[in-house]
Amino acid sequence: MKRAHIVIAGTVVGLAGLLSFNSTAVNLSLGSLSAVTVPTRSTTTTTTTPATTTTSLPHSGGSTPPPTTTRVVPTTTATTTTTAAPSTARSATGAATNYSYGVLSVKVTVSGTKVTNVSIASIDDGGNPRSAYIDQASIPLLEQQALSAQSASIQGVSGASYTSAGFEQSLQSALSKLGL
Amino acid sequence: MGTIVTFDLYDEDEPSESVLSLLREAIDVLHQADDDFSTYKHDSPLSRLRRGDVTMAQCPADVGQVLELCNVARNITDGWFDPWSLPGGVDPTGYVKGWAAQRSLDVLRRSGIRGALVNAAGDTASFGGPHAGVPFRIGIVDPAATQHLACVVESPGAVATSGTYERGCHLIDPHTGRPASRAASATVTGSDLGLADAFATALAVAGLQALPLVEALDDFEALIIDYDGTFHTTTDFPAVRTSSKTSS
Repeated sequence: MKRAHIVIAGTVVGLAGLLSFNSTAVNLSLGSLSAVTVPTRSTTTTTTTPATTTTSLPHSGGSTPPPTTTRVVPTTTATTTTTAAPSTARSATGAATNYSYGVLSVKVTVSGTKVTNVSIASIDDGGNPRSAYIDQASIPLLEQQALSAQSASIQGVSGASYTSAGFEQSLQSALSKLGL
Repeated sequence: MGTIVTFDLYDEDEPSESVLSLLREAIDVLHQADDDFSTYKHDSPLSRLRRGDVTMAQCPADVGQVLELCNVARNITDGWFDPWSLPGGVDPTGYVKGWAAQRSLDVLRRSGIRGALVNAAGDTASFGGPHAGVPFRIGIVDPAATQHLACVVESPGAVATSGTYERGCHLIDPHTGRPASRAASATVTGSDLGLADAFATALAVAGLQALPLVEALDDFEALIIDYDGTFHTTTDFPAVRTSSKTSS
C-alpha cells in the first residue's frame, strides 16, 4: 500500500492564525493549498529530527514499571533547520508582538508554499518567573502543534490549552513577509 | 481569540479539489463559531446575549443549541462543568472550542479520506487513522514536565485535556465561585470533543471525586494525574503504555 501522507498542518496553522485576523490573507493562502501538500512522508521529515528520550512514567505504590521510551517532538527552535529542506526553503521572522507576558517574535520557514517549521525567534518576558514558566510550557507546545504530524509514533499532542494571540500575530506577519 | 487549530489529512494520494473544498468548509465552521461565540468580539451574538441586548430567540440557532448541550454537560457532571457559574455571565467558550472542532471534523468526514485529525490548541478530534486499520495515537502532556509526555492514548475520536499548568489557575469551582483545581491534569477520551472537553474541565476542577461520573458513561474514559504524579483512570481508558501504573 502506498503510504502517501499528506501533511498540511504547518500551513493550516498559518491559516488559522491568518483567518483570525485577516480574511484577505486567508484567501491568498487557501489559493495556494493545492501546492501545499507533500506526497510522501519522507519529504516532510527531512526538516526535523525528533529526539528520542527515555522517560519513566509517574507511578504510584510499589509497582516498578519498566522505563518507557517516548518519542518527544522537538521543542527547541535551533534543532529544526532549513538546510535539509529543498532549495526553495525560505525563512522570515515576524514582527515582535506583545503577548500576555511580554514580547515575542515568530520565525517561519517555508518550502514553496508549505510551512516546514515554526519557531520562536525571540522572546522577552522581563524575567518574570511565572512568565518564564508559561513560556517554557506553552511555546514548545505551539511548535509541536505546527509539527506534530511529522512525529513517527504519535500524530498529535493533547495538553491544557494555552492562549496564543501574540504567536499568531507574529506568525501572520512572518507569512506576509514571505508573500503567503 | 487566540487559538491555533491544525488539520492533518491522511490519504493514499494528494487531496483532490473536492477534498480541499471540504477543508475550506471545515475551516469556515471554526470561523463561524468564533463569530457567533467570541466573548472578545463586542458584537458577537454571544456578547450581545450576555449584555442582554438580544434574546436567545434573536441569536443564531447554534447559540441555543450550544447552551442546551452545555446544560447536558452540566447535568452529567453534577454541576462541576457550569458555564453559568462563571464571572461575567454565561460563558460556553470552554465547550465551544471542542464543539466547533468536532463539527469541523464532521465536514471532513464527508471527504472519504482515510483519516483526519483536528487539533484545537491541545484538544483533538479525529476519524480514521494514519494507516488503514491503525488508530491515531495522541501524546498526553505530562503536567509536571510539560515538554514530555505522560502517556500515549489511542484516540477513539476525541481527546481533551484540561489543567492549570498552562495558564495558571483559571478554572473556577462552580460550587464556590472560586478558583480551584484538584488535579494536575485531566484527560477525557470519547466520541465527541465538545463533551470530552467539558468533562475534562469538570475533572480538573473536581479531581478524583468526579471520576465515577465519567466511569458511568459508556462512551467516555478519563485519566486524572495527581499533583504527586499518580495516575487514576476509568476502567477502559485507552492508554497505550500506562497499564502498569494506573489505579482505578
